[in-house]
Amino acid sequence: MNPTAEQIQKINYFRKVPLNICEQIASVVEIQDCEPREQLLMEGGTGNTMILIFQGQVEVSKNMMVKTASGITTSRKPIIRLETTDPPPTTDPINKATVSVVQSPAFGIGEFSLVLDDAIRTANVHATTSIQYGILKLDDFSNIVKDNPEVGGSVYFEVAKSAVQNLATASADISNLTQAFFFALTR
Amino acid sequence: MTANNSENQKRKTTTSEIGSDKSIQSMDENIGELNKFSDLEIIQSITDDEENIGKRVGTLPLKKIFSKVISFYRVNEFFRYAIWSILLILVSTTALTIVEYDMFKESVTGHVGKTFLFGGENPNWLDTFFHTFWWSVVTFTTVGYGDVSPVTHLGKFLTIIVMLLNFGVVTMLGGAVASVLVAQRLKGDDTLEESKFKEHLVIAGWNNFVPSILKIIDANHDSISQVILVNEMESEPMQRSIAGFGFERLEISHIPGNFTQELILKKAFLERATTLMILPDNTGLLPHEEPDEDKTVLTCLTAKAIAESCNVIAHVINPENVSHLQRANVNEIVIPDAHVPHLLAKHVTDPGVPQFFDDLILQEEKDKGLQEVPIPRSLTGQTHEKISAFFKFKHNWLLVGYTIQKAGFSLEEQMGDSGTPLIRNMIKEQLDGAGINLTNDEHVKVEINPADDYTIDEKHRALVLR
Repeated sequence: MNPTAEQIQKINYFRKVPLNICEQIASVVEIQDCEPREQLLMEGGTGNTMILIFQGQVEVSKNMMVKTASGITTSRKPIIRLETTDPPPTTDPINKATVSVVQSPAFGIGEFSLVLDDAIRTANVHATTSIQYGILKLDDFSNIVKDNPEVGGSVYFEVAKSAVQNLATASADISNLTQAFFFALTR
Repeated sequence: MTANNSENQKRKTTTSEIGSDKSIQSMDENIGELNKFSDLEIIQSITDDEENIGKRVGTLPLKKIFSKVISFYRVNEFFRYAIWSILLILVSTTALTIVEYDMFKESVTGHVGKTFLFGGENPNWLDTFFHTFWWSVVTFTTVGYGDVSPVTHLGKFLTIIVMLLNFGVVTMLGGAVASVLVAQRLKGDDTLEESKFKEHLVIAGWNNFVPSILKIIDANHDSISQVILVNEMESEPMQRSIAGFGFERLEISHIPGNFTQELILKKAFLERATTLMILPDNTGLLPHEEPDEDKTVLTCLTAKAIAESCNVIAHVINPENVSHLQRANVNEIVIPDAHVPHLLAKHVTDPGVPQFFDDLILQEEKDKGLQEVPIPRSLTGQTHEKISAFFKFKHNWLLVGYTIQKAGFSLEEQMGDSGTPLIRNMIKEQLDGAGINLTNDEHVKVEINPADDYTIDEKHRALVLR
C-alpha cells in the first residue's frame, strides 16, 4: 500500500512540494509496519534510502565510549525521540523516554541519502512503538527531480538547512569537548 | 539635608573654634569639599543604619548565652546530672516544706531565734522553705547533721524517696565525673571540641614566621579569632609557646601530627575552616636542613580532597613547586623572595618606596596600615568616588583599591546549552566519574586606584590605609 500525497506533504522536507509531485513521490513509497525495538538505521552503515515515518515513535541514539567501573565500554546513548502527531502512535512506548520527545505530524530520517550516494548513517534509529513507515530510494527521488527540477530546490534547501544546523551543533560539541579536555588536563 | 548638615557643622565650628580664623577657614574648606559629594545623605543614612544595627546586636547576647547553655547541657554529661540534682533538691524541698511545714517552722524558730531573713520577728513560709532547703542540701550531700528531721509518716516516707533518689543521682554524678576524665585520657589531648570551631584558620606547619603571622592576625580586630595549629611538635612545648604569645583576641589550639594525613587535617575540622595556611615545616629539622616542600603539595592535595571550598594559601621557598601547587588547586601562593629584586631596584629608582612598604608592614601591629575591610551593603552599586568619600569622612581611612572575589571558571556555565545534550551530559558524567569538579575555585583579584566612576558590586571589599 502506498501513502497518500497529503501524508508525504506532512514531512517537513516535502512541505513545499506541490501535491501532484507528492503524489508521484507517494507512488514510489510503500507503507510498511514495524514492531517496537526493531532497528531502522544503524550508525556507521551506509544507505541510499530515506525513511519516512507516518505513525509511531522512534528513538535516535549514538554509540559512545564511556568509562565505567568495569572499564571502558561502548554504550548506546539516546539523543532524541521523534513522535508523529497526525496520527499519533497506536501503542505506548516500550520504555520511558530519558531524552526529549520532539513531535511533528510526520517526519523523515536519513535525509542525506536524498543527496549523497551511500550516505553514512550518523546515528542508530529504532522503533519505540509500533510504527508505519515508508522507504524513499535515492534513484526514485532523483528520477522525480529530473522530471520536475523545481521540486529539487525546495527539498534540497530543507536538507541543506538540516545539514547546516547539524554542522553548528557539531561545532559547539567540538568546542565543549576541547574545553573539557583542557579543563581536565589543568586540574 | 546636606545644606542643613553643613550649616550645623559651620555653627559648631564657629562656637568651638572661635578666635581662630585659620581653623575656621580650614574647616570651611573641608565643608566645601564635603559638599562636592552629592550623596552625603546616603553616607549619613548608612552611618545611622550601622548605629541601629549596633543597637540591635546589643539584644543578642542573652539569646546567645541561653543557646550556649542549652548546647552545653546537651553535650556535657556532668552538667546534665548537676542540673537534675539541683532540680531534685528543689522539688524535695518544696514537697517537704508543704508536708512538714509545722515541724520545719518550729525548727527554724528554735535554731535562728528572733531574727528572720524574710519574716521579721516570726518566720514566714520563705524562712521555712530556706530551712527545708538547708535540710535537703545536708541530706543530698550525705553530710546529715541531724539537726532537723521529719516527724510525720508522710514526711519520713518522702525523705526515704529523696534519699534513695539521691543515692542514684550522686552515683551518676560521680560516674559522669569519672567518665569525663577517662574519656579525656582515652582520646588524648589532641581532640578538640567540634562545636567551638567554624570559619576558623588552620595553620599547617611550624617555622619562625608563625608567631609574627599570628600577631598580625591578632591585631586586626575584624579578622578570624579561632586558629588551629597543626604540626609535629609535642603538645606540651607547643601549649607553652601558645601561652607565651599572650594574644589579646586569638584563641589558639594545637593538633599534633603529620598534617599531610587526612585524619590529622580532619581533626582540625578543615571542612568547617575558612582558610588553610600551609607553611614550610621546620619541626624536628637540624639547623642546616631544609624543610620538605613536597609536604606542602601533598597537604594541599589532601586539603582540597577534604574541603574543596577551603581557601588554601601556601608559602613556598622553591619556585619550582609553584606549578605543582597550581595543579593541586591551591588558591594563593606566597613566594617570599619574589619581591626582593623589586625592593632592591626601588631603592635606586624610587628611594622611599621600599621604606614606605616597611612602614606599612610595621604599622600592622597597631591595627593600622593596609587592611581589607567590608563595604557597607547599602553602598553596593555606588562609584569609587563616593565609597572613597565614605571611608575618608566616616573613619578617616584612605581607600586605595578593592579586592574582588571572582567566581572560578565553570565548565558547566561555559558550555551552557550549546551543542548536543548528549555530549554535554557525557562530559559531565566522565569528569564527575574522574573526580574532577566542573567548577574552579573562587579567587581574589585586586583593583588598585580605579577611575572615579568605577562601580562596585557585592563581591568587592575595600583596601584601606588606616
